[in-house]
Amino acid sequence: MITCLPRLMAAHLLFVTGKGGTGKTTIAMALARAAAAQGRRVALVEVDNQRPSLTEHFGQAPAYHPVNVGPNLWIGNVTWDEALEEWLGRVVPVPRMTKLILGNRMVRLFLEVTPGSREVVTFARLQQLTEAYDLVVVDMPASGHAVSFFRVFTRASSLFSAGPVRHSLDDALRLLAAPTTHLVFASLPEEMVVNETIETWQRLREGIPSLSMPLVVLNQGLIPTLSPGESVLLERLARLEPGPGADGRRRAELLRAGRWEAQREQATGEAMERLGQFTTMELLVAPLMGAGGGAADRIRRMEALLVRSGALLPGRPGAAA
Amino acid sequence: MSAPLCLDRLVRERRIIVCVGSGGVGKTTSAAALGLRAARLGRRVLVLTIDPARRLANALGLPSFGNEIRQVPLPDLPEGGGLWACMLDTRATFDDLIRRMSPDEAAREAVLANRVYRVIADNFAGSQEYMATERLYDVHASGAYDLIVLDTPPVKNALDFLDSPGRLARFMDRQIVRWFLAPYDEGRVFGRVLVGTSGVVFRLLGVVFGREFLEDLTSFFQDFRHLMDGFHERHEAVLALFADPGTAFVVVAAPNEPSVDVAGFFREEIIARRLPLAGFIVNQVHECGTEVLDAQALLGARAQAAGGDLPAHTVLSLSARLESAHRRLASVAQAEGPFLARLAAMAQGGPFLRVVPLLDVPIRDLDGLLELCARLFPPADGDAPIAP
Repeated sequence: MITCLPRLMAAHLLFVTGKGGTGKTTIAMALARAAAAQGRRVALVEVDNQRPSLTEHFGQAPAYHPVNVGPNLWIGNVTWDEALEEWLGRVVPVPRMTKLILGNRMVRLFLEVTPGSREVVTFARLQQLTEAYDLVVVDMPASGHAVSFFRVFTRASSLFSAGPVRHSLDDALRLLAAPTTHLVFASLPEEMVVNETIETWQRLREGIPSLSMPLVVLNQGLIPTLSPGESVLLERLARLEPGPGADGRRRAELLRAGRWEAQREQATGEAMERLGQFTTMELLVAPLMGAGGGAADRIRRMEALLVRSGALLPGRPGAAA
Repeated sequence: MSAPLCLDRLVRERRIIVCVGSGGVGKTTSAAALGLRAARLGRRVLVLTIDPARRLANALGLPSFGNEIRQVPLPDLPEGGGLWACMLDTRATFDDLIRRMSPDEAAREAVLANRVYRVIADNFAGSQEYMATERLYDVHASGAYDLIVLDTPPVKNALDFLDSPGRLARFMDRQIVRWFLAPYDEGRVFGRVLVGTSGVVFRLLGVVFGREFLEDLTSFFQDFRHLMDGFHERHEAVLALFADPGTAFVVVAAPNEPSVDVAGFFREEIIARRLPLAGFIVNQVHECGTEVLDAQALLGARAQAAGGDLPAHTVLSLSARLESAHRRLASVAQAEGPFLARLAAMAQGGPFLRVVPLLDVPIRDLDGLLELCARLFPPADGDAPIAP
């Protein structure tokens, strides 16, 4: 039982972060679908992605103004250009002035590269979306960038002592600190990936102590079930010569598969232990899957796992069985 | 036209190898293995890495990496061969650069102490990539190595660092700085009347960002502009280095969708920029037949003999496990098929494609790295082209 899942379903803003290949997008989609199935109006968005990964799955590209792709579900892409224009339009409420600023190449370049301005306008847009939808699920860029994305809010605060940028930074920090905002990690049972998850978690906790980071999904894991006796026997058999001919090859292949699975179980066990030791996140192991129905099937299975692990009830966000 | 480039000729002949690809595909270990191979062929090699797992530092026999270049203790190297490693510390490299390029101590201290600089050096997306190329330029210019293997950061939208030194350099754009400093150069500062479009925009920026920030930024630009020409010249030189025929790009991938997507993207970018694409290394490939195997029939008798002292049910339960593990492995291997096919298609017409089966255990020490090396360079391979 993952106790934070009902809370995540009742949230207003969920960030999903992780390295490439950790299943981050699958998890974001599954969270969005699960919440939509509970009757919440959900916007699933990417952040300024030039090649939106949601496009292929939904058969249409996410737009700045989210497009409806199913019951209670919208997909969007918070592009920097549009977010900037909208933000400037609000802080400089004279259209002529806004145009003047945006029309100046130097200023655009300047805005684009000034520390924090990208993040500030992106976040201002996310905040707007939380007002238009019950839940906004953000499929974040890879997690190295998540650290700089979030830490910019604390770092940039030292640069801007007044003005609209400062106000937006303060708004962003308040939204991050809200009890209805959470960050979910996607990870894999591999040493490097787990280390990166732990490091990101620690750096974010130092930078933004009030940010809620309740859950890590350990994707493609296998919870250890090999008994000590089985392990001993497996190693003994693996040490024997497999023998000649086709049967020898088959024996070798069986044992290789056994050792591969044992290795995967061990790695999952180590990852669970390290994540448990160095973070306070709840841990959900999503089992390793092979060939199957492709992406759509992966998302359905991930959603089913979330519903099962959180004992989620349809139509009742925040309630558990 | 020379023969197609194989992996072996690559590490024998090239002077720079750039490994690109998504994260988590064994890019850093592959870079280390390529370096190890070249060192064992008698070359002096530096592996310049970004974010090695502690495990890799251990595997290379180093207590930890640092911005310093350290020699990797390797036994049995031929005359002249040697392996060095260095982990890039963005901040330290940046500070070094400022120190070297500053005309005098006062200019240097002014930049290093500036609040805007500190935030930029720590936070700019792209500064890591930029600093990697910066460091590459330096070590290459030193002439101390026969081969430099550059392990790039796991970026998705990727070859930005080739276009420009990223957001960082755009920030240092000559035009921006000139535009920004113009009112100051003309002796006008805040509090005085700024005229023209520039003046209006400038005042608006003051409203949006706060006057204090603009003042900080202006003093940063003033301190920094002496360094800028040097920045741009060096970047030109780095670009020339990447396009040099002595350089090779190797795309490292794993057989899964995100990684192959990224590999395809890199391939297109490298070709579009007319950079030397050498080939593809595909790591972490699962190999397994699809035949259904009967564990009892194949291993029952052996297991009975080998497990006599173990609990009675062990033989049966292990048999069941082996069969299910085999089904799982076969399914995982099968799922990788289409991705391997896509990579093979990408490698058609020249680049090599080296498929590296998943290692039985993760690389923890030098032996593990040597094992990877053996799989990257099978003995039979020799100088024959690997390309299809």
